[in-house]
Amino acid sequence: MPAFPNAETAAEVFGELFTILAADEEFTAKLRENDLTARLVHTKPDCTIFLSADKVIVGPEAPEDAAITIKMSCDTAHQLWLGKLMMPAAVATGKVRIRGKVAKVLELVPILRPAFDRYPELAAARGIGA
Amino acid sequence: MFNEIISPDLSDLPPETRKFHAAVREYARDEVAPKALELDLQEAEDFDWEIVQKGHDIGLTRAVIPKEYGGLGVGVLGVAVAMEELAAACPAVALIFGATMLGQTPILLSGDPRLQARFLPIFGGDQVALACNAVAEHEAGTDLVIPQNAVHARIVTTARRDGDEYVINGQKRFCTNGKVADFASIYANMEGYEGATGLTGFIVPLDAEGVTRGIVADKMGYRACLGSELHFDNVRIPVENMIGGEAEGVAISTAQGNMARSTVAAISTGIARNALEHAVEYCGQRVQGGKLLHEHQFTAGKLATMTANVDAARLLYRRAADLVDNQLPAPEYEPAVAKLFADRVAIETAGMAVSLMGANGFVREYGAEKILRDSYGTRIFEGTPEALSLAVTDCLYREEDDL
Repeated sequence: MPAFPNAETAAEVFGELFTILAADEEFTAKLRENDLTARLVHTKPDCTIFLSADKVIVGPEAPEDAAITIKMSCDTAHQLWLGKLMMPAAVATGKVRIRGKVAKVLELVPILRPAFDRYPELAAARGIGA
Repeated sequence: MFNEIISPDLSDLPPETRKFHAAVREYARDEVAPKALELDLQEAEDFDWEIVQKGHDIGLTRAVIPKEYGGLGVGVLGVAVAMEELAAACPAVALIFGATMLGQTPILLSGDPRLQARFLPIFGGDQVALACNAVAEHEAGTDLVIPQNAVHARIVTTARRDGDEYVINGQKRFCTNGKVADFASIYANMEGYEGATGLTGFIVPLDAEGVTRGIVADKMGYRACLGSELHFDNVRIPVENMIGGEAEGVAISTAQGNMARSTVAAISTGIARNALEHAVEYCGQRVQGGKLLHEHQFTAGKLATMTANVDAARLLYRRAADLVDNQLPAPEYEPAVAKLFADRVAIETAGMAVSLMGANGFVREYGAEKILRDSYGTRIFEGTPEALSLAVTDCLYREEDDL
């Protein structure tokens, strides 16, 4: 059974998660320093998010053009942010697919901590279990 | 000899990569090439630290490491073009640095800032440091790199968790730099898993208690780099040294191999280019039947084929390396095809050079016979043609996996 019942719930949870991340100064400084933008494409259900140092856009309005595109299913994203899926293994097995400057992506991974810290609580608040 | 067709400039690459490439070309020409024949004649266990230190000084041990950890951050494409230059001078020297990158790759792939902060800065110091990768064993080769084979693997190095440590036991073979590296990225099977289905990656400092550096393989080529055994006898390492999760080793190793194959293809391209350079020089000076060799149609046909193949091999490895720099997981098809083609080109081009040079190609002083011996090395590293063919055809029959 999918973790997310519908696209609206996925948009709410992941939208809030990345809004929290976008408020983290270390994270946005890194994005700005490297002129990085990211497009996160979640599937099953579909939920797309655009992230830059200045804004988070959730839904169909998310721009197509981004320096990095990260694609994964909502179930994979759920497991990942819960800390139940190791990023290197998820990437190595193709559960998470990234297009863009790989070196820049790898530099971002260590500063995603605030998202990992907050996700369980965000998901639980909307009835998405561990 | 730097003919623009045989060794083109790289004006399409980023300025930093071009600068690095220029430094590597100068090092290869001035430091490596003049010593290549001498290095080839050395004993299996000899190692020229002086030439390696000079390579370290221009960044060859830290090319792929991000700048924040003291590296150059030129990516896999930057490393690949450097490998071609080095291999055109001496592929064994290229492999010393290539194997170091291979040992660093799991740390980069881990995305683990603590692991990266502990092990990557050591390559940024003044003193040269090397790494190695340890996969092959006496009874297990491709069984440790092809996921479908893992269940059939026999007598594999083991790891078991004991509190905050892992305990590792077993032996690895053909570890390039194993005799001289500071640490190894190794793969061991977690106890309780069949075959190698519990394969897990670890970073093992080679001064750890219980590690023994074993005998160096006496190879037909690549004499300047040391491929040795590594023995692990109840070696204890902290849990923080694990890479990417227990039993995820085959996936990590596969990703590592896919990243590395474009640089191995680049080494093959450099070998082929060197063979071509030797042949072009010889056929441009040698007169038989009243005219230069390259004016004989049959010889011209061979030179043209060699040139086209070197060019094609270069295009394939550059395409693969560029993709590796821009997608995760690293692509499987493009690096495999690049390596499959380039290693054949290296062997064929080296063979043609020996043939065109006649008896002079068969004696040591002209260098062509060394190129021929070396050309077989890259056929083996990071997947034999037989193993790669399975990977390529698997891509042909694979259905699109929509996430």
